[in-house]
Amino acid sequence: MNPPMNAPYSCSGVQPRPWSRRQLLQSVAAGFGWMAFSGLAARAASQPAVQPSTTAPLGVRPPHFRPRAKRVIFLCMQGGPSHLDTFDYKPLLQRDAGKPGQARGGGAQLIGSPFQFRQHGQSGLWISELFPNVARHADHLCLVRSMHTDIPNHPQAFIQLHTGSSQFIRPSMGAWVLYGLGSENENLPGFITLSPPLQFGAQNFGSAFLPAVYQGTRIGALRENNASASLGNIENRLLTDPQQRRQLDLVQEMNHDFLQATDGHPEVEGVIQSYELAFRMQSEVPELLELKGESPATLARYGVGDSATDSFARQCLLARRLSEAGVRFIEINHGGWDQHQNLETALRRNCRAIDRPIAALLDDLRSRGLLDDTLVIWGGEFGRTPDSRKSDGRDHNSKGFTFWMAGGGSQPGLSFGSTDDYGYKAVQNPVHVHDLHATLLHLLGLNHEDLTYRYGGRDHRLTDVKGNVVHGLVQS
Amino acid sequence: MNSSFHRLAVRFLLACLTAAGTVRGAPDVATGRSFWSFQPPKAPAIPAVRHADWPRSDVDRFILATLETRGINPVGDADPRTLLRRVSFDLTGLPPEPDLVEKYAADPSPEAFARIVDDLLASPRFGERWGRHWLDVARYAESTGKERNNAFPEAWRYRDWVIDAVNADLPYDEFVRRQVAGDLLPASSTEQRDQNVIATGFLAVGPKGLNERRREQFLMDLVDEQIDVTSRAVLGVSVACARCHDHKFDPISQRDYYALAGIFRSTQTLYGTVTNQGNRQPSSLLALGKLPEAPAAAATASPEPDRTRPAGKAARQAARRAAANNRPRPEPEAPLPPMPPEGSPRAMGVREGRPMQCALLVRGEITQKGPVVPRGFVEVLNTTPPPPIPTRESGRLQLADWLTRSGNPLTARVAVNRAWLHLFGRGLVRTADDFGALGEKPTHPELLDNLALRFQSSGWSLKSLLREIVLSRTYQLASTASPQAANLDPDNTLLWRSTPRRLEAEAIRDAMLAVSGILDTEPPRSSPVAAIGDAPLRRGADSLRDASFARKRSVYLPVIRGFVPESMELFDFAEPSLVVADRDTTNVPSQALYLMNNEDILRISGAFARRLLADAGLSPRERIDRAYRLAFGRPATPRELTRAAEFLRLEIGDIARNPPPSQPSNPPPDRRRRPPARSREAMRPGEVAWTSFAQALLASAEFRFLR
Repeated sequence: MNPPMNAPYSCSGVQPRPWSRRQLLQSVAAGFGWMAFSGLAARAASQPAVQPSTTAPLGVRPPHFRPRAKRVIFLCMQGGPSHLDTFDYKPLLQRDAGKPGQARGGGAQLIGSPFQFRQHGQSGLWISELFPNVARHADHLCLVRSMHTDIPNHPQAFIQLHTGSSQFIRPSMGAWVLYGLGSENENLPGFITLSPPLQFGAQNFGSAFLPAVYQGTRIGALRENNASASLGNIENRLLTDPQQRRQLDLVQEMNHDFLQATDGHPEVEGVIQSYELAFRMQSEVPELLELKGESPATLARYGVGDSATDSFARQCLLARRLSEAGVRFIEINHGGWDQHQNLETALRRNCRAIDRPIAALLDDLRSRGLLDDTLVIWGGEFGRTPDSRKSDGRDHNSKGFTFWMAGGGSQPGLSFGSTDDYGYKAVQNPVHVHDLHATLLHLLGLNHEDLTYRYGGRDHRLTDVKGNVVHGLVQS
Repeated sequence: MNSSFHRLAVRFLLACLTAAGTVRGAPDVATGRSFWSFQPPKAPAIPAVRHADWPRSDVDRFILATLETRGINPVGDADPRTLLRRVSFDLTGLPPEPDLVEKYAADPSPEAFARIVDDLLASPRFGERWGRHWLDVARYAESTGKERNNAFPEAWRYRDWVIDAVNADLPYDEFVRRQVAGDLLPASSTEQRDQNVIATGFLAVGPKGLNERRREQFLMDLVDEQIDVTSRAVLGVSVACARCHDHKFDPISQRDYYALAGIFRSTQTLYGTVTNQGNRQPSSLLALGKLPEAPAAAATASPEPDRTRPAGKAARQAARRAAANNRPRPEPEAPLPPMPPEGSPRAMGVREGRPMQCALLVRGEITQKGPVVPRGFVEVLNTTPPPPIPTRESGRLQLADWLTRSGNPLTARVAVNRAWLHLFGRGLVRTADDFGALGEKPTHPELLDNLALRFQSSGWSLKSLLREIVLSRTYQLASTASPQAANLDPDNTLLWRSTPRRLEAEAIRDAMLAVSGILDTEPPRSSPVAAIGDAPLRRGADSLRDASFARKRSVYLPVIRGFVPESMELFDFAEPSLVVADRDTTNVPSQALYLMNNEDILRISGAFARRLLADAGLSPRERIDRAYRLAFGRPATPRELTRAAEFLRLEIGDIARNPPPSQPSNPPPDRRRRPPARSREAMRPGEVAWTSFAQALLASAEFRFLR
């Protein structure tokens, strides 16, 4: 482990090169030092609304109107978690369990939830026994029980949840948010996804036609041991930090020459910028990713070290640390929610894996005053059917499922919308994925119809030509 | 909600009416044919230019004429070393040898340049570069992707076929025909027949959702993917979006889609993946080295009952029910051929199935069958009557003919535009992926048509086309800016200079291996995925990353959907599930971190350093100069020599004084698996410092950019 560095150019005994960071700060006019400049801009804070400039694409941009949230933590549950066994209580489903279901082709019967529900907190939200710890936060949760999406198929629904469109390659919501607001930390990526599922491709955290600086930085992958997950290529086994800084100085000097030789080609300038950011990331990222600074009590509270919770506990704790560090959009992932069978056992195991970690995250965000401006979102690509041809499973349901939000200006202690008596379909105040996206941007102070990018001859948005802000979800 | 219901209802109605042939979606075919790209290319007059001594060819006359109308002067010619580096990377994806650079710099005549171009075009390295361009649009990969991500252990044969075909300069029309219908083309030998069958791997290597329960859904998704890749790779327009409704912008109807769907439904696609768990849609493979079989359509009885085909009484009942519902009868599928035994040569590809017509599916839903659509082609592109499809054939052979016949307005334009794109960084049609209404119009429409027509009349030779373009003066311009021109055309749309371009992922990695002297140019004629065999790829795919084939050209690295090698993925490799004509170019910190710290980069840098140190007769300054010539194709300037020497002096001193850093306490998985080839402890300070210097050159912008 290289010793952490306090300054990016603390190359002992080496003379600063003409374009060291100190000089960069003084040479903004020459087109360099946009990172430093963006830091200054962040501190200045009251700029008029502007398009991101080509020299400072990650600079902080003011929102369209006063935001309720400054950042997002998305707890992404890949596979389609059952709303009927977690956050959407259906007494009639329990009563009519065993009766014929509505599945096309027949042969399915209604499956009652094997789990007990009860009301929690002042708000009296119904939450199942699977989430005893999250239920403690009932009065901070904003349950959206009327979600729906277009396609009951994992890849398409997962991609639509992330990009708004499964049909076309579109930027992910994290990329849109970063494009809209810029980054608050010049030394870290502004959009980080921890342990995402890889089978649906990088599109879920990609930037598509948006400039690549807005794409998500992936750390680890679903089902990989994330205890050792790291941003790849963050350490050099051959050179000490001063030696590497000297090497980097040489690289940058050559790059500077080449920039002149190409008459200031913007892509070459992009290379120069990428090296400075990379060097700073080298010192900052390992510090953040290591959980050493956390007390044993904190680790235990999240469930780090307990094999049942360890993986997601690390992600939740990292999410807190990254949000404290100013990362704009953080996505953390848990997979395996596709309970076509084995509903009771698998769901119990899954919920156990995430319940304590999520509760600890919410506790920490609250106690540190971060929940007010951090929007936490929980959900998967769709929900599950009340009926099945198997006795212990549920199938894909794109027509009705549950998301919840907490903090960041979402209405606390609220149950919004509903599915029908059995949970097949959103019937009251349906919220489409497009509406969720519009509302998310709204809470961040962005008008989803104005956050546009010109590509292929027309202006594109996260919500395409759809989406309505669900004002009922916004804290009054 | 009401409005969306309304829209849905209107669309449903329109779809029904369209299907019934009473109205057509807008724009109609007649109007649609007036769109520029749907009109056959017209032979334009060669424009006159004021500076008649400037052009070297007609390409130059078209370019200069446009510049002159805008009052823009082109900049001067590129210096010989810059030009040689440019053309060497563009044609072979590799840097020129320093000796060749010096030879050409000493005699930079057009004749000398033409000879070098001919050598580059004749090199086997050419097909590895230009074959890869096609593999981008052919969405080539060696696994199914999607939820099972099963390996395609035989996919590499298709990759090698593409490379070989490009090297042989197989006429582009024939190149397309074999990929769509190679199995139906005459073959004079078993070997040629095998090659033709392998070519149809084009239709088989796409992503597949093996977990899909419904056979009909799986087949329609398979067909959709085949329509998508065929239309976009060959025609540069998207037909697949007419699966659910008439195309919103282009005159492509749902009828067109299901006419094509009938052709592919009458085709059997063989992609392997038989044995593994959770695979609900297994397939077989095609046996190679055997005499052509009779088409399945001619078979009267299948040796074994097909699980998807209702038999006997049940079948009759099903047929009656279907008839009662006014739906077409369920089409029986052709039985799968037996899987050729392990160890015998096998290929992915297609063969004839049972001919059938496809029913139009309302909103693309397999449960909502509309009227049956006769097999056929995209109507708006039928500038002359299309070839008729015999009842007993799938229509693939006719599709192959139709795609490549001279009246097709798109095929040649799309191909020459891609060639232009890969030589200039941008196509004459900027949206190389979309020649439809949402795409951009060509910046030089007459030049595009001129090239397209001559491409066809000269026998669809890619090499001739490229030769002509790189010998043009336009291609050979310097990249220097001109304030006057930059003011009038800041994006260089009109090509008054050469725009600096970053190299693609493959060229960056291959060049690193080449300048370090460790590139193994021998084609492997296999793939690491072949060793995995027929199995789902989850964790196992990880171990394939760069580890094997470490010195082979990048085109031979395994391409597993979701597990693209880091060295490729970081530098904007084409997403292997998508048809990609024009890759992105990004310059982001993850690339910088990779070049600064990655174990493979350190290994390659070490090899480069040892190559430099191996020549004991060189002084340090000569060694630095040699490094510059290898890495950048030019000598080092005096300032660069001094700077590098000073760097090495300081670095050697520092390394000698300071002990090596301890091994990382928390090494990433890649590092654990493979111990470093040469630990720092085993290296003397000089070697470490020269490695650091070599790495600096490889990591620099100049290394990965063409001027």
